[in-house]
Amino acid sequence: MPEAWSGFSYIVVNLARFIRPGEVTFSGVNSTPPMLACLLAKRAYDFDFVYINVAGGVQPTPTTIPISSSDPALSQGSTSIFANEDFYDLCTRGGMDLCFLGAAQIDGLGRTNVSAIGDWHNPKVRLPGGGGAAVMLPTARRAVTWRTEHSRRTLVEKLDFITAAGGMHGVVTPIAVFVKRDGRLALQSWHPESSLEEVRSRTGFDFDASGAHATPQPTVREVAALRSLDPEGRFERDAGVSLR
Amino acid sequence: MPAAKIMSLADLAALIPDGASLAIGGSFLHRGPFAFVRELIRQGRRNLEIIKQSPGYDIDILCRAGCVAKARAGIVAMEGNFGLAPWYRRAVEKKQIVLEEHACMTLTAGLRAAAFGVPFQPVGGVHGSDLAALNKWASIKDPYGSGEDVWVIPPIRPDFAVIHANEVNELGDARIYGTFNWDRIMTRAARKVLVVGEKLESVAAFQERPELTLVPGFMVHGVAVVPHGAWPGSCWPLYEVDYPAVEAYMDTRGSLEAHMAQAPEIAESAHA
Repeated sequence: MPEAWSGFSYIVVNLARFIRPGEVTFSGVNSTPPMLACLLAKRAYDFDFVYINVAGGVQPTPTTIPISSSDPALSQGSTSIFANEDFYDLCTRGGMDLCFLGAAQIDGLGRTNVSAIGDWHNPKVRLPGGGGAAVMLPTARRAVTWRTEHSRRTLVEKLDFITAAGGMHGVVTPIAVFVKRDGRLALQSWHPESSLEEVRSRTGFDFDASGAHATPQPTVREVAALRSLDPEGRFERDAGVSLR
Repeated sequence: MPAAKIMSLADLAALIPDGASLAIGGSFLHRGPFAFVRELIRQGRRNLEIIKQSPGYDIDILCRAGCVAKARAGIVAMEGNFGLAPWYRRAVEKKQIVLEEHACMTLTAGLRAAAFGVPFQPVGGVHGSDLAALNKWASIKDPYGSGEDVWVIPPIRPDFAVIHANEVNELGDARIYGTFNWDRIMTRAARKVLVVGEKLESVAAFQERPELTLVPGFMVHGVAVVPHGAWPGSCWPLYEVDYPAVEAYMDTRGSLEAHMAQAPEIAESAHA
């Protein structure tokens, strides 16, 4: 019998499923789920890809999985240090195939706000800020993001501020996977314990759902790989992801 | 031999006047010159401009102590599993500091313009971002006729770059192990470079492997040796983030003084 999804495993594994053979794939700061997704893909999938990260790691083989996704421990086993200017320049010249980037708000075009909730000059919440997105989202071949909360305040009709345009290729939440189609985010699949109706009612933007289906359950190897990366469930507890 | 550049942490921090602009090395909780930052607080520095692509603990504690007038930053967070930087966030929301929000690479483009000695620096991406209008950045058409527009960023020339290095020598040469984050471009863009080192190494050891030196001593104005000076952050491969100490720092029931009193540089200066 296949293992059921948790909200946390749903996000990490479905991020990993965006990774493709042979591609250069990047995980950054403040990005625990993508860090785990990249490490999971190395353990659960038979193909190779070039994993680079914000700690300067190139194909690293860390012996411990750090809490911080920018921890230099993520360069352990790397044969070179590919530091910040290097991976940004690689991205802007078109050499980054898949880039995982964070977001607070996402609109139907896949644009993101990581700057402020409310008016930028009089913010209700001052968010972390521009980071990688404004440069990487328009220049990476594909960018994928995640939200641990699926709601009309995170998946919005109108962003409070457009930090980054260019458009996400994919978005993963605890209940849904969106993929860009004809320039807009379209629903690819939903958590089997959720439904198309629930995804619609909790999403602030309109989306195409043609061909969407329940997300296939995690494979035995995906489950085993995630368990090996988070044997005590520390990351799962820290993430605090719930379906509803 | 040129004059030795080693001085005490207090003397090194005393080089920074009120109102100075300061690029700070490292990233989030990793390899930041945090002992130096705390020394600025002890000395009561005011109206600093902080320049860093990914500040966290450093800008937060400086805001908490009321030392900051302006931040030019890409992404600000405590990171790890700690989320937003609370005292920084409050300072921005209450308009106690002025924020110039960047993408990490637009800030770097500004540093590159300063480092290269040119009036502006093209940067990839940025198209469609509200940050461009917010910061009044200009875009120019490719003068060589590709038809492409590119955003250009004016120079960002910090008065000082302060970095934390694994090894230094008396001439000011500095080595960093693991990723050097943005430290290289910061040290090339700033008017003066200050280095805090974990460990004093011999000049001969640097002469044996000059290619390991990230910052050549002739560019460095002063050096202090402070073991564990990146606490409560990490300094690869010597020590990891002190998560309980950061947690205690974040606890609003605790005081800034209590946190500062635990800092390793206190013990160092006591028996120096």
